[in-house]
Amino acid sequence: MSTVLAGYGLVKKYGSTTALAGVDVEVRGRDSLAIMGPSGSGKSTLLHTLAGIIRPDGGQVLLRGERLDNLGENRLSALRRKRFGFVFQFGQLLPELPAEENVALPLMLEGMARRQAVVRARRWFAPLGLDGLEQRRPGQLSGGQAQRVAIARALAVEPDVVFADEPTGALDQRTSTEVIQLLTSATRDTGAALVMVTHDADVAAHCDRVLQVRDGRISNYSQFTVA
Amino acid sequence: MRSPVLPLTWHLTRSSGRRGLQSHLLAAGAAAVGAFVMLVIIAATLGAGTRADHTTWRTPDAVPAKQATAVQALATTYVRHEPVTVVSLAQLSGRKQTPAPPGLSSFPKQGEVYVSPALAELLHKLPANQLAGRFPKVKSYGTIGTAGLASPDELVAVVGRTPTDPAVSKAAGDTSSWFDMAQMERAEISGFGGDTASMFTAGDQGIAVLGVVLLAMPVVVLSAAAGRLGAARREQRLAALRLAGATPRQIIAMTALEAVALGAAGALTGALTYVASLPALAQVPFGVGTWYVDTLWVGSPWLATVVAAVTALITVSAVSMLRQVATSPLGVAQQANPRRTRMIRLAFFAAALAVIFMFSGGGLQAEQAVALLLLFYGAFWLFGPWVVDRLGRLVSRFAKRPATLLAGRRLSDDPRGAWRTVSGLVLAGFAAGFFAVSLLGADTSQYRGQVAVTTGHAFEARHTAAEARTLLHRAGVTATVTTGPTDAYDNLLGGGSGVIAHVEGGQEQLDTAVTALTPLGAGRFPYGQDYAGGSDKATFDRLDAVTIGTLALSFLVAATSAGLTAAANVLDRRRVYGLLRLAGTPLKVLDRARVRETVIPLVVLAGGTTAMGAYGSYQLNKAAGATINTSGAIELVVCVVVGALAMFAAISGSRPLLRKVTADPAQTAD
Ligand SMILES: Nc1ncnc2c1ncn2[C@@H]1O[C@H](COP(=O)(O)OP(=O)(O)OP(=O)(O)O)[C@@H](O)[C@H]1O
Ligand SMILES: [Mg+2]
Repeated sequence: MSTVLAGYGLVKKYGSTTALAGVDVEVRGRDSLAIMGPSGSGKSTLLHTLAGIIRPDGGQVLLRGERLDNLGENRLSALRRKRFGFVFQFGQLLPELPAEENVALPLMLEGMARRQAVVRARRWFAPLGLDGLEQRRPGQLSGGQAQRVAIARALAVEPDVVFADEPTGALDQRTSTEVIQLLTSATRDTGAALVMVTHDADVAAHCDRVLQVRDGRISNYSQFTVA
Repeated sequence: MRSPVLPLTWHLTRSSGRRGLQSHLLAAGAAAVGAFVMLVIIAATLGAGTRADHTTWRTPDAVPAKQATAVQALATTYVRHEPVTVVSLAQLSGRKQTPAPPGLSSFPKQGEVYVSPALAELLHKLPANQLAGRFPKVKSYGTIGTAGLASPDELVAVVGRTPTDPAVSKAAGDTSSWFDMAQMERAEISGFGGDTASMFTAGDQGIAVLGVVLLAMPVVVLSAAAGRLGAARREQRLAALRLAGATPRQIIAMTALEAVALGAAGALTGALTYVASLPALAQVPFGVGTWYVDTLWVGSPWLATVVAAVTALITVSAVSMLRQVATSPLGVAQQANPRRTRMIRLAFFAAALAVIFMFSGGGLQAEQAVALLLLFYGAFWLFGPWVVDRLGRLVSRFAKRPATLLAGRRLSDDPRGAWRTVSGLVLAGFAAGFFAVSLLGADTSQYRGQVAVTTGHAFEARHTAAEARTLLHRAGVTATVTTGPTDAYDNLLGGGSGVIAHVEGGQEQLDTAVTALTPLGAGRFPYGQDYAGGSDKATFDRLDAVTIGTLALSFLVAATSAGLTAAANVLDRRRVYGLLRLAGTPLKVLDRARVRETVIPLVVLAGGTTAMGAYGSYQLNKAAGATINTSGAIELVVCVVVGALAMFAAISGSRPLLRKVTADPAQTAD
């Protein structure tokens, strides 16, 4: 599989703090990469830089060979909407919208007719174990269910890469395992790559590769051999 | 042991940063606006009462002839369309000395003329043959003091006469035509006690109360929004405190303390602004004119009450908002179930409308009308959320674009909240629609250019007509003089006998004619169209002023609370907005959803009720055979458009806030 997303020599500084001090990463299709490291080491900064949320002070970000780091804000925003999916720790669903409309929202933003978008959105519910919860509002879902809806929303646009920042950070151990299994398998099934930040080694173990970050540098890089 | 609540609150309030300071200032500012608006309208109401009290001496209570010490007659004459109140007084000989009327140092002697400062100015400005000639010739006029006047602009004259003067004779009090009602009185008196206010001030207080009723709700909503704004910001901090072990009671106490301090500071600022702007407020004309500054001073009990009430409202709102956070760490934005509204609201509204319809057929007493208005408001207050809920569902069912869908879902998710934001305007819109297009009163245009002089008997009329021609000719007025046929009840003489002069030329010619013909009136002033329409004009001008004033203030208050609510909503949802923006959702979509969430119910409900009010008024007018007030309708349209734009601007005001709170990925994502 060819490289989908790559960052070379990424540097990001906040005043005197160096959040990223020259990081190189490559992610291929269907590949899943976990980013680990102590608090404040630059994990989120790396994820945001790769996702075109933060512009790096040095280095390049390439999506299928095209540079992102010098695109304008509107182009970047459209790119994130169309080619990336996002799963955050919590609170990313609009509380007034039923689950299926939360999932359909990115499709509608792309101009898909509402009815069609909702039909497409519903297809994700059964595979993610959310059958019958289509009409629930986020406030009526458990934490694990809400995260699965968020995964459905991230995958609905059929992105090239899914970014997840502590997607299980607010869940208990068992739910966390369930959610992470669904996230990795569903992402792989759509052919997308997964880039995930986590504190939890058990969660990281579900990914193909693990990247250790320390003080803005990669300190360790390991490849699991997944059965 | 000392409670840690006080010092901790102080510390947290001080250290809440720039955004915290901004929302403190906003909340206090809202409290200030609320207190100011409430004080102004209360001042207008109380002041209108005081003004009316200052006019009661012109129509004192009559006493039995044996006890009377003087004769008093009230007459009204118009110059340049403005009414001049003329009080004639004659001491009866051989009776006790009558006390001085308010504003005068002693009872006027025969031949003395006292005038209000505004009238003195006018007498000076206008040629004598247009105004001064209507009064006895004097070397100099005395001055009526403020005790006898409702407004610095009032035109009042007090004339001392002999008891045999025709101006105080029985004929002078003969209110033969309905035009004379309340513009002409005569009584034998022994002093100036009484409680009949002048026609030009009597209705003012009732109409100002209407303004209080219309504005009270918007101010309550504004205060609630202010309280909520503070609470939204505190939510995170206090949730953290709770995790750190503070009890819900301590958290609530802290919130209450902070809200009381903010609310009181804001309300006091509003109160001080009111006090400081008293001289400016006094220059705003209402009814008989501008105000004496002390008339508009509400007194410290009212001042304290308003400050306390606004503070209490803000505190209650802040605490009740925070209660949810204090008991559930998930917070306000995460409410699980949409707050449904039930059908019963519709049923109640229909029932109330039926009651109103049943009772509003015939002539209504003022109290009944107010009761029906209150019933209508109450019903509407219950009905509003239901409509918003349905509207939200309708919009979300048919929405094609994400922003519209989001706005629709938001409306049915919290219909009460959405209703609160627009309610003030919806209700004010109804009243404004009703009164702005209201009746102009009886049409008096057929009397244009006419001056009538009444005579005691029909046979005198012919002689009077000849005299009138001579007087008018001498005064340089071109006019045709006719004797009014006694059987024609619809002319300016109203069935009485006398002559009518059809004057050519403008207002100056008319005022000259009235002045020239004054000697023929046997103590009664000649009169014209202004006199005939005086009583209706007094009522409808006031309604017009209060309608427009109330509408303008409603818009000010409603726009402020819409702006605050919009800001509070952004702060409430900053996490989800921030994350959506990270995921590439255009800010424009979120922003449009916010605007539509207020604009849709505003257009549908406020537009609907304004149209309903205007239509209802139109129907009433048609039934009464009167014409529609087109200039009122235009004023209404202008007001609604300007108000809607102000509302829109207020909501857009939080756009930078939305941009800011969603801008920093590090802040939102963690
Ligand atoms: N907007 C910002 N302004 C200033 N400094 C920042 C900003 N964002 C991040 N930093 C700093 O950059 C460094 C890396 O931050 P980052 O959020 O990437 O850490 P992290 O590894 O995700 O930590 P955690 O595990 O706590 O989420 C930290 O020292 C942080 O304080
Ligand atoms: Mg992080």
